[in-house]
Amino acid sequence: MKNKNAILSRKDINKAAWSYIFFSQATQNFERMMGLAFCYVMEPILKKLYADKPEEYKKALQRHMQFFNTEPQLGALIPGITIAMEEARAQGEDVSEELIVNTKNALMGPFAGIGDSMIIGTYSPILLSIAMSMCLEDGNPIGPLFFCVVWLTTIVGMQWYLFHKGYSMGIGAANTFFTNKELADKITTGLTMLGLIVIGGVASTTVRAGVIYKFVSGEMSISIQERIFDKIMPGILPLLLTIGAWYLMDKKKWKTTQIILGITVLAAIMVFLGIM
Amino acid sequence: MSFLQALLIGLFAYLGSKRTPWVFGVTGGWNMIGRPLVAGLIIGVILGDVRSGVIAGAMVQALFIGQITPGGAMPADVNWASYIGIPLALAAGGTGEQAVALAVPLSMLGLGLFNFIMTINAYFPHMGDRAAEKGDGAGIRRATYLTVIPSFILRAGSAMLICYLGAPLAESLINNMPTQVLHFFAVAGRMLPAVGFAMLIKQSLSQKWMIILFLMGWIIIGATNMTVTALAILAAGIAALFVMAKGETKVVTAGTQTDEEDDCYEE
Repeated sequence: MKNKNAILSRKDINKAAWSYIFFSQATQNFERMMGLAFCYVMEPILKKLYADKPEEYKKALQRHMQFFNTEPQLGALIPGITIAMEEARAQGEDVSEELIVNTKNALMGPFAGIGDSMIIGTYSPILLSIAMSMCLEDGNPIGPLFFCVVWLTTIVGMQWYLFHKGYSMGIGAANTFFTNKELADKITTGLTMLGLIVIGGVASTTVRAGVIYKFVSGEMSISIQERIFDKIMPGILPLLLTIGAWYLMDKKKWKTTQIILGITVLAAIMVFLGIM
Repeated sequence: MSFLQALLIGLFAYLGSKRTPWVFGVTGGWNMIGRPLVAGLIIGVILGDVRSGVIAGAMVQALFIGQITPGGAMPADVNWASYIGIPLALAAGGTGEQAVALAVPLSMLGLGLFNFIMTINAYFPHMGDRAAEKGDGAGIRRATYLTVIPSFILRAGSAMLICYLGAPLAESLINNMPTQVLHFFAVAGRMLPAVGFAMLIKQSLSQKWMIILFLMGWIIIGATNMTVTALAILAAGIAALFVMAKGETKVVTAGTQTDEEDDCYEE
């Protein structure tokens, strides 16, 4: 896709990549979502591509002002691809306006889905879980600092890579991404498994519920928590609480607010009765 | 809480909200400074109690660990939960449990502000439209930069004012609470993170049997002295083994009896 007489220099692409990383979500709103920011990223590129065609420049600005919404971090591939397509169009290749707009529209949905579930729904919680386990007991600032350093370097690096990959491969980049389904499935499954184990570990130290009620009969005092629940398994109550909350949410379709209310009421009753 | 402290908290509340370009965009802002875990450290430094700040941050983080925001539709506003809930709890001499208890209602109230900004920001693309029609590149840039203003005023302003004015109120509230009620906050605050983890399990489970993995992680940490970092490495090993083993059987069966294999995987 990359041709010898490219109009855009490496510097132009680097500049666009930075402006995407910083501004991609900066103008988010209910009407166009990321639309304005997308146009902002494209503007210097379009200016250079259509330097001697002001009408084309206007039309290009307008087509990138349209609605655009994806998971901005994984979606960094999309502006890269778009720039490659605009460059091809400016060089007189047969790339229609519709093709550019349709490519953007076709890619934003899948990237939002994969990005939300892999980056926001899996990668970030894994890192946060590890970081939380470092500081939950003693308030060690190394926990949040670890998260900041690892998250920032990996995700900014990933965006930088994807943006350039999108530009250098053009529309082919999206095809590689989607046809390589088996590898994508493997990564997703692997990350999900890793995530569930780590999250289970952190949940066991974070969710806490204990019975303070003691069975008293004459001289004898039996702590229900120590004598019964801890004998079955330490942490059995918080585990049942978490699994119960998941069951109600996933199988009984309870809303999050209902579960929060439910737990609050449960806690109130247990405290009132002196059980917890 | 001094005015300067409230001002700084407001500033970071803005930097951790969703529409800030300043710190590597959404990656360093919303997804980093905006996470309660990181907010806890920042607030701890500002209020001079790093230890309590970090612990409160980690506890509030647990509550929101399962929250993803597809298409900008938010179930709860993490920003107010972090940058109002944690400072108010700390300023009142409270602990992580109180921060969690405050975070829940604040996250629901903050949703109103989130939706308000998302709505009024729809003005700026129209400014961009007019600039695009005229082929005015500087106009596009101006519209983009101006979008920063409403977020800044509303996010920084709201967090600052509520922290500054609310701190004495929260303090007297927590100090005059009957011990029974305080105990209730502590119990509920420790139980509520179950919601965050339940949300995360719900999203992550692609197959039902995978719930075993969650149980496994829970039991390994509960029954041994293993750290979570070590658990993560072990988990990576298990995941790699599974993925590789699964990949190989697929190749073998695909080579010999494709039809049958297809049948038994369809439910």
